[in-house]
Amino acid sequence: MNAALLPLLAALPLLAAATTVLLRTPLVDRILMLGIPAASTLAGILLVLHHAAEPVVAHSVGAFVPGVAIPFVSDTFAAVMITVTSFTTMIGALFLTRTGEDRLRFLPALVLMLVGGVNGALLTGDLFNLFVFIEVMLLPSYALLAITGTWRRLGVGRLFVLINLLTSTILLIGVGLVYGVVGTVTMAELVGVAQEDPRAALAVGVVLFALSIKAGVVPLHGWLPRSYPATSSGIMALFAGLHTKVAIYALYRVYAITQDGTPSAWIPLLAVVVVVTILLGAVASYGEFRIRGVLAYQMVSGVGHILLGLAIFTELALAAGIFYMAHHIITMGALLLTAGAIEETYGTGRLDRLQGLMRREWWLAAMFAVGLLSLVGLPPTSGLWGKVGLVLAAVGVGGWEAWVYVGAIVAASIASMLALQYLWGEVFWGAPQQVYWPASARTGEGPELELPETLRARAGLVAPGTILLGTSVAIFVAAGWLMPVVTRAGAGLLALAPYVEAVLG
Amino acid sequence: MILAMTVGVLAAGGVYLLLQRSMVRAVFGIGLLSHAANFVLLAAGVSAWRAEPLANRTDAAVAADPLPQAFVLTAIVITLAVTVYMLMLAVLGNNDDTHRMPNTGESHDE
Repeated sequence: MNAALLPLLAALPLLAAATTVLLRTPLVDRILMLGIPAASTLAGILLVLHHAAEPVVAHSVGAFVPGVAIPFVSDTFAAVMITVTSFTTMIGALFLTRTGEDRLRFLPALVLMLVGGVNGALLTGDLFNLFVFIEVMLLPSYALLAITGTWRRLGVGRLFVLINLLTSTILLIGVGLVYGVVGTVTMAELVGVAQEDPRAALAVGVVLFALSIKAGVVPLHGWLPRSYPATSSGIMALFAGLHTKVAIYALYRVYAITQDGTPSAWIPLLAVVVVVTILLGAVASYGEFRIRGVLAYQMVSGVGHILLGLAIFTELALAAGIFYMAHHIITMGALLLTAGAIEETYGTGRLDRLQGLMRREWWLAAMFAVGLLSLVGLPPTSGLWGKVGLVLAAVGVGGWEAWVYVGAIVAASIASMLALQYLWGEVFWGAPQQVYWPASARTGEGPELELPETLRARAGLVAPGTILLGTSVAIFVAAGWLMPVVTRAGAGLLALAPYVEAVLG
Repeated sequence: MILAMTVGVLAAGGVYLLLQRSMVRAVFGIGLLSHAANFVLLAAGVSAWRAEPLANRTDAAVAADPLPQAFVLTAIVITLAVTVYMLMLAVLGNNDDTHRMPNTGESHDE
């Protein structure tokens, strides 16, 4: 395989974004908005297959001397992430075409820029380039937040921009400190620096701190449930699958490389933060009064689950964390798009305004129930294997820590189950819905009208969520084939020799 | 030493402004903070060697490290773009010292 093709994964979406801006043709917009993520998904799958033979592929842009050049590196972990994020983006984009939001000027271009930024951040082998690609990912997000959703978005848009820019500044300071101490920001040359030099460990710590804010780790999670539900469902599905997950990917990558297989002395701090994140996200789901508000707090809990793999830091734990991340992106996307179908049709996502939809929308009700089972970690969904993997990894730690980890997972599952069955009951159970707010889906206001007997969510709105949920069920069935892949991905984070060799030659 | 103190002053001022309620002040705060970050980047290699980093014209022993300068240039461009965007948000929000958001009939109790 020609490694020089790797930068195309970031460059092609950006070029396509420019094309949509210049051509202004709805058909071309749609083809590119769906086709580029589809091509990226395909490329991700091909990379995953290729990495069975060659674990790491790297290319130095411009063929400069290794160490000076900006490398693009793909290993199994990156390839899995590219596959999952691109696939979710494709389905999210499909939903946007069904709601008509793709007709908003620049929306296709912004979505494509988002894809380019995410692919770049996943593939880059350079700490400063990671910062740049995270910015490339965030800049279109600011605009997406501002052009979709209700009026509420402008208020929370400020919060989102300020928090992310502040975090990026901290990340930049961290990168500067790393460069000042180590003299390079090429990740392949940062192997084990945090073990060798306490100053480097501190500099890397600043980077990890900034990435934790972007990942939405408690106690720095507040921006996430405040800002995400204010945008439209389709955009929130994109954000949920991309932003925090790219930050978590970077946390995995940077931590694993700078520690070189040996856990940090600060691991107890990470463990406490992770356990609190798991529990707080699950319990706080109760306090929300909108469907997507509940799901946003479930995302916070999910961040904790994924980072548990990092806190335990064994091969099994990293593999379980990566598997949970893939599961979480897909399941959360499915639930958000299903919630979006309800909001688009009935004009509100507020729990006190929705009731008894099961009589009309039996398919949505069944889908939502399966999606919630997946979040809790029950069969027949990918969530079961995700939690089984984490529990097995936690048990492997032994001692009282194992009890704490497993206890947190079980307690959070029970709390989530109670909150989510409350959510399902409020929306689908009870007396039949009598009224709806047809004009309200976009503006947040609109008159209350009597609900026509025949009104149903359009098939086009339901299909994207169904596809993602079907993927979650398929992962449950096909887990046996996927486990070797995530195990390879986790192993690649501990045995760094192939990575270094591929980048530095 | 002067560089470190400048970073400290800029960061302190930036944090103070960022904690103000008005969006415009927050934008200025972000501006100061990003300047602080840029100085941190420059401190990583430019202050010790001052000569222009031009190949074949400057002795490599005295030439400044060009990489932090490239970093800072990139960071400035990004900050500028976001600052313009945030100023747009400040204009759209209007009078944010008293009102939370335009009155659209949406409930604000959240």
